[in-house]
Amino acid sequence: MGDKAKGAESGKVVHLVSQEGDQYEVEVSVCKMSELVKTMLPDDDDSSETQEIPLPNVKNNVLAKVIEFCKHHKEDPMNDIEKPLKSANMHEVVQDWYANFVNVDQELLFELILAANYMDIKPLLDLTCATVASMIKGKTPEEIRRTFNITNDFTPEEEAQVREENKWCEVRVAD
Amino acid sequence: MASAPPPNPITIEEGWEKEILPKAILPLERILNEGLQDRQRRDLFGPREYVHIYTICYNMCTQRNPFNWSEPLYQKHNETISDYLTRTVLPSLRNHHKEYLLVEVKRRWENHKIMNEWMRKFFMYLDRYYVKHNNLTSLHVSGIKFFKEQVYDVVKPDVVQAMLAMINLEREGQVIDRALIKSCVEIFETMGDQKECYKEDLEETLLSDTREYYAKKSQGWIETDSTPAYLLKAEAALEEEKARVANYLNAETEEKLLKVVIEELLEKQETTLLEREGSGCAMLLTNDKYEDLSRMYRLFSRVPSGLLPMAKIVQAHIERMGNEVINQREARMHEEGEKDTNQDPNFVKALLSLHDKFVGVVNAQFEKNSLFHKALKEAFVEFVNKDVGKFKNADLLSSFCDRILKKGGEKLGDAEVENHLEKVVNLFTYLTDKDLFAEIYRNQLAKRLLNARSSSDDWEKLMIGKLKHRCGAQFTGKMEGMLNDLAVGADHQKEFLEYLKDKATEASASSSSVPLLGGKMAPDDFSVKVLTTGYWPSYTQLDVRLPDEMLRCTQAFKAWYDLKNSRRRLAWQHSLGSATLRAKYGSKTYDLQTNTLQAVLLLSFQSDEESLGLSTLKERLNVPTEQMKPLLHSLSCGRYKILKKQPASDKIKETDTFTINPSFSCPQRVIRIPMATIEESHNPNRIEEDRSIAIEAAIVRIMKARKVLTHQQLTSEVLSQLAFFRPNPKVVKQRIHALIDREYLERDENPNQYKYLA
Repeated sequence: MGDKAKGAESGKVVHLVSQEGDQYEVEVSVCKMSELVKTMLPDDDDSSETQEIPLPNVKNNVLAKVIEFCKHHKEDPMNDIEKPLKSANMHEVVQDWYANFVNVDQELLFELILAANYMDIKPLLDLTCATVASMIKGKTPEEIRRTFNITNDFTPEEEAQVREENKWCEVRVAD
Repeated sequence: MASAPPPNPITIEEGWEKEILPKAILPLERILNEGLQDRQRRDLFGPREYVHIYTICYNMCTQRNPFNWSEPLYQKHNETISDYLTRTVLPSLRNHHKEYLLVEVKRRWENHKIMNEWMRKFFMYLDRYYVKHNNLTSLHVSGIKFFKEQVYDVVKPDVVQAMLAMINLEREGQVIDRALIKSCVEIFETMGDQKECYKEDLEETLLSDTREYYAKKSQGWIETDSTPAYLLKAEAALEEEKARVANYLNAETEEKLLKVVIEELLEKQETTLLEREGSGCAMLLTNDKYEDLSRMYRLFSRVPSGLLPMAKIVQAHIERMGNEVINQREARMHEEGEKDTNQDPNFVKALLSLHDKFVGVVNAQFEKNSLFHKALKEAFVEFVNKDVGKFKNADLLSSFCDRILKKGGEKLGDAEVENHLEKVVNLFTYLTDKDLFAEIYRNQLAKRLLNARSSSDDWEKLMIGKLKHRCGAQFTGKMEGMLNDLAVGADHQKEFLEYLKDKATEASASSSSVPLLGGKMAPDDFSVKVLTTGYWPSYTQLDVRLPDEMLRCTQAFKAWYDLKNSRRRLAWQHSLGSATLRAKYGSKTYDLQTNTLQAVLLLSFQSDEESLGLSTLKERLNVPTEQMKPLLHSLSCGRYKILKKQPASDKIKETDTFTINPSFSCPQRVIRIPMATIEESHNPNRIEEDRSIAIEAAIVRIMKARKVLTHQQLTSEVLSQLAFFRPNPKVVKQRIHALIDREYLERDENPNQYKYLA
């Protein structure tokens, strides 16, 4: 893309509005990463007024993170994530910036997943889901429960049945 | 999971009845029913309204079971579209007909596209997981499908009829709303993935309707219009249909549509159009209607094998014109009593201009199409080989070349000479008896060269080059040899003169009293042309008794020539030679230009008074009677009566006696005394002989390669190999028998088969 075209596009902004009602000014070219936002942006926008796009499912802190992701992604797009995950260490899966980006507390991580799904931002959804997967990779059910703070609500009979049904899976883990 | 589910899940009733239906569906339907401008479409729902609905749907689809409403929402989406189409759209179409139906269909289709798009956007989240996981039809495709099943399939027959009615109106010259038709075509294109709806529902009917339309048209035109007028209309119709496709149909239709029009307007009427009396193809040719011919060619070139019948008519026409030229020649000879000679430049020129004309037509009007080239060729082959009178056309063509190439023949500029020669060679290629032409041409060439009548060496070479280009080196080898003999001869003459000079110095040194050439002959007075046997036509050999001076000359030359070429034998052709005699009549002196025989005859009179009979002269010259007669005739009965004949008459008898005519006088000083050639212009027997040799050579060549062949195979191969004449199969058979006798071939056990004997 030539500088001129880039400049013209970077001039155009929209206001993303969080659940709390705060406005975030974002370049059109950045927030188009969200398919939801893109749906609302006309292809041939010639109006000068700045669009306000409410995102009632996304809180301030999450939206700020999402915008940070989109901005960086525009400058240095994230590598595709290989599946199955080649490592439990996210630094070996994506560029350092992205690995650091998801190095957040669990609550924020899950909020990011929900926001990525709601706003339909595929790279962000891929990254956050892969991070969760990396947290599960190579762990026993007990360890997983501990990691995600899950109380075991299975009765012993139920647990036995689930283990039986998923035997193939354990064999693979044992490999 | 860490994030707790929303405290109060939305129920399906709440979500649908209180939110989606009143805030999205009903406003959308209302706006569609009221009609809307482009600008409004985009802003139908602003981001705030839209995100609200999207979020409701999103939340309803992401709630944990039993509160996940994906399935009911998917059904609601479909029902909404389906209901709108059956309850609102279809009834509105039922009230409209013809063009109004199309307008309404177009409006409803545009609306449907808007509705479908908004519905897809509202329920977008469904497409992402629910539709994918359950292998369902995507929202957009479902919407199109409903339109097809509930509207399109119901109204399409009426829509197609309305469209065809409008198209036919346009064909009749009315202005129609093309954009409307184009929009309707677009609906047909959108229904179905592979344009199958467009093809099956619209295109097929359009094609059959078009066929019917033009079938009727062509019936009318063929009754009222001449062929050129009809073709003009047909061409215009093809242009219009092509434009029609470009204006509002699918591009793939063009070929099919034009094919139908071509079939109806041209293919089915082809015979009538081409053969129509008064304006058909032949008539256009007769009247030089070049533009109409071009159009006819252009149009019928689009009909599969449509040019063949046209080419046949062209061929027949050229043949008719050619035969007319042939008949005119015959009429001039028979009715107007014109002399039958091998000179008929007007005839040849008529053929040339006929050829020029139709080469022009084939190149310009018929775009150099090979079918028409073939027609031209076959027509010319047909009549160029029709001989009238004693002389074959091959002879006339060669003689025409002779006129061009000899001094004082046709008066032509340099460029024209080349041009004419090229044209004659073109005609020549149509001759079957090319060998006959070559034989006659060679005789005439020999005469031009030996009598120094050829106007330019370069032109001779040019012409031979053209023949060589058409027929190969074998065909012109002898002619080239002839030119070469003379070129080499000029050098030899110089050498010979050097030799004579040396001899003369020697002789004076040894004071020998006998001069080499005898008499008063100077070396420059005498020249010899050495002709290679085989290149030149064969001439009757006469062993003439030469007077002493001439004898000495020939001996001197022979002595030199033997020295130079010990292995070659010289034979003197006196009938081809020439001499200049100086005659004194009192105070008057004449230079008589004669041929060698005439000169020898005159020199054989030992005194002015001597009176000699034919038999005495014959003895003195050692020339047979049949050659003596024309010789004496040229000197005693021609324009210049050098000899006086007793008794005076126009015929030479054996009993006639001759004396030198003492009272001869003439205003010119230099007199050329012509003489009828003793030789035939060409020897027909020789051609026959050459042909026999060529046939035998071909047979042996073929059999050597193929070893065993049946009679039919061999004959047809021989015929195909012989390029310069077409032998009678009987002659081929004779040659085969001759080769069996000479043990080149033998009959196989199968009596109809021959075997090659190595």
